[in-house]
Amino acid sequence: MKLERVTAIIVKESQEIVRDRLFFSLAFLVPTVLMMLFGFGLSFDVEHIPFVLVDRDNSSLSREYSHKFISSRYFDLQGYAKNENELDSLLITNRIRAVIVIPEHFETDLLAGRPAHLQTLIDGTFPFRARTTIGYVTAINAAATMEVLATFLSQRQGIPLQDAARSLQPVRLDVRYLYNQSLKSIWSLAPKLLMVILMISPPFLTALGIVRERERGSIYNIYSSTVTRGEFVVGKLLPYVGISILNGLVLWILATRLYGTPFKGSMLFFLFALTLYVVCTAGIGLVVSVFVHTQTAAMIATVIITVIPAVLYSGVLIPIASLTRGSQVIAHLLPAMYFTNIVLGCFLKGVGFEALRNDILILAGYACSLFTAGYLFFNKRPSE
Amino acid sequence: MTVKEVLQLFRDYVLLFFIAYAFTADVYWAGSGVTLELVHSALAIHDSDHSASSRQLISEFHSPYFKNIGEISDLREASPLLDSGKATIVIDIPPKFEESIRRSKQTGVQMQVDATNSVLGLLASTYSTQIVTTYGLRESLSANGISPSRTGTLPAIVDDHRIWFNPNQTDSWFMSISELLNVITVLAILLPAAAMVREKEKGTVEQLLVSPLSPIEIMLPKVIAMTAVILFGTALCMFLILGPVFHTPFRGSLILFFVITTLYIYTTAGIGLFAASLSKNLAQVGMLTILMLAPMLFLSGAWTPPEALPTWMRNAMYFSPMHYYIDLSFGILLKGAGWRLLWPSIWPMVSLGAAVFGFGAWRFRRQFA
Repeated sequence: MKLERVTAIIVKESQEIVRDRLFFSLAFLVPTVLMMLFGFGLSFDVEHIPFVLVDRDNSSLSREYSHKFISSRYFDLQGYAKNENELDSLLITNRIRAVIVIPEHFETDLLAGRPAHLQTLIDGTFPFRARTTIGYVTAINAAATMEVLATFLSQRQGIPLQDAARSLQPVRLDVRYLYNQSLKSIWSLAPKLLMVILMISPPFLTALGIVRERERGSIYNIYSSTVTRGEFVVGKLLPYVGISILNGLVLWILATRLYGTPFKGSMLFFLFALTLYVVCTAGIGLVVSVFVHTQTAAMIATVIITVIPAVLYSGVLIPIASLTRGSQVIAHLLPAMYFTNIVLGCFLKGVGFEALRNDILILAGYACSLFTAGYLFFNKRPSE
Repeated sequence: MTVKEVLQLFRDYVLLFFIAYAFTADVYWAGSGVTLELVHSALAIHDSDHSASSRQLISEFHSPYFKNIGEISDLREASPLLDSGKATIVIDIPPKFEESIRRSKQTGVQMQVDATNSVLGLLASTYSTQIVTTYGLRESLSANGISPSRTGTLPAIVDDHRIWFNPNQTDSWFMSISELLNVITVLAILLPAAAMVREKEKGTVEQLLVSPLSPIEIMLPKVIAMTAVILFGTALCMFLILGPVFHTPFRGSLILFFVITTLYIYTTAGIGLFAASLSKNLAQVGMLTILMLAPMLFLSGAWTPPEALPTWMRNAMYFSPMHYYIDLSFGILLKGAGWRLLWPSIWPMVSLGAAVFGFGAWRFRRQFA
């Protein structure tokens, strides 16, 4: 492998990239825009759930209870109704996502010491939101039940209300959130966005890079020159790796300055891991480009291989532990999951090589095998 | 001309393979693999009491939410476990736990939660609080002489919830339909755009221009051909995967669904045409479409509900045809709604789409003027 030949390929590729002004600007613009868009727009906080209240009891206790929902920041009262049956069309057209029905005799039942059955109708189209909604309802119910129970007990046993309340809760759970004390969802999202964006754009850039030559026919120049396979593959890869590292740095700046995510780890370690990861993802693009013959196919193949797994199987939206066995296998086969660990470790946990050693080794192994695959399958004497 | 387009497409085997894959395997994996719930969260315990009560409390933290990975004898072992990600939660039960409960003195159980995933952290803490509270309530009631079996005569607010449209909360229904809609959108934008730009790049567009075909006649066959392919893929997906494998119900009119889909593909093709008119080669059009696709996919309302977005983004969402398409698709497939009920979503999608398509077509013609 001769350095001069590799350099020649790098220079040629870089010149081609720069000359294509639109492509060049897009290569830097797309990651930045994506980062800003998703950081501001993507949120898992289920709040302002629009709902309708049906109060069949109209007692002071039922009104007190309703108030818990109305004043909650998670729920947004859209109105009252007499009957839950007339609300079908509202639920179907997504005007409301939940109906809360307070039964008759709510107050009398509770004061007499009998349970009262609340009814909630929830739009289950989006299971995640439905579950969270049920969780909120359960939490509000638990708090209200505690109050009612405490009153009941204190009356029945003649002890002051406060003592009754305290005796009902002998065990207190003190929760400490580590790494992300205020549970800011953007703190956990921004580093993961970095991972996703660097999984989407480098393969795209690299895949098109090689297939473009093939489609245009200028690949024959390469075939007939003295450049070896290895030199060609390295030379083609490096400019895109460079662009992506730069993108990574810009994204880092956005994550820390714009979104205020703390960075507790070592910058040097992060840069090293970043380079490794970018080589992996660009390498995926490389391998794709070696196999396809048209740019359209390269684009679609890269989108399907990178975008969708990056979102579904990397731990960004859905935690790995929540995946089924089969999907977990897929997740372990892709570099996204490992870099997510590294990125979270560097930003939020402040850990370094010792804790993340396995992830780094796996990424390194990945990069090597991708490069080898690209090298082996790139043929300078194609049969076509 | 449409025949030519389809032929060109079919000659590209790799592309065909990926389209087939997208409509089948991809949707399958998305539907079967994924659930947005707290599952098997790794839990490590530090028990300083080792009493029957503490063991009882520990046993309450079970699957599916939690996975007990064992006890640690020293609290100092907690940090490395959490740092490396081997444990997500560490619970610390203080000494004299059982004694305190017997004596009706309030005692505190400490829990450390890895909050790098804020959603999971919140869920973990919510479920744990529920578990601890229920446990505490049971203990205190029995200490007060009220046995658990008699809690029927205690006041409590019990929630009977009914979930509409997806009673078993089958995630696969949501995920598979979502993924199908994503695939349709991606292909609807990319395929016509790629077809257009490829001709530009190869130079064959000049051939077309000198032929008696008008720009519309050049453009329309591409869109028609790709629409047909995508519709076929959709049908394949629905009848091979969604129905048989996931048992997703198709409650509404299938014809309505396909009509809406066709309208949708035409409108989003307009976006692809616009991108194609701006680009000179496929690399550019690829990046441009990512730029336009990514926001469309993520901000379409499937992942983040409109009510949770910041106001300016919510207004932007109302301009995205995909948002209406998602509402329409779920409305037809899962909720069984008819076109009368869904009209408020249909006309914005169609008018937006017509506008985009018209704009894209105009730009396309202009570049050859």
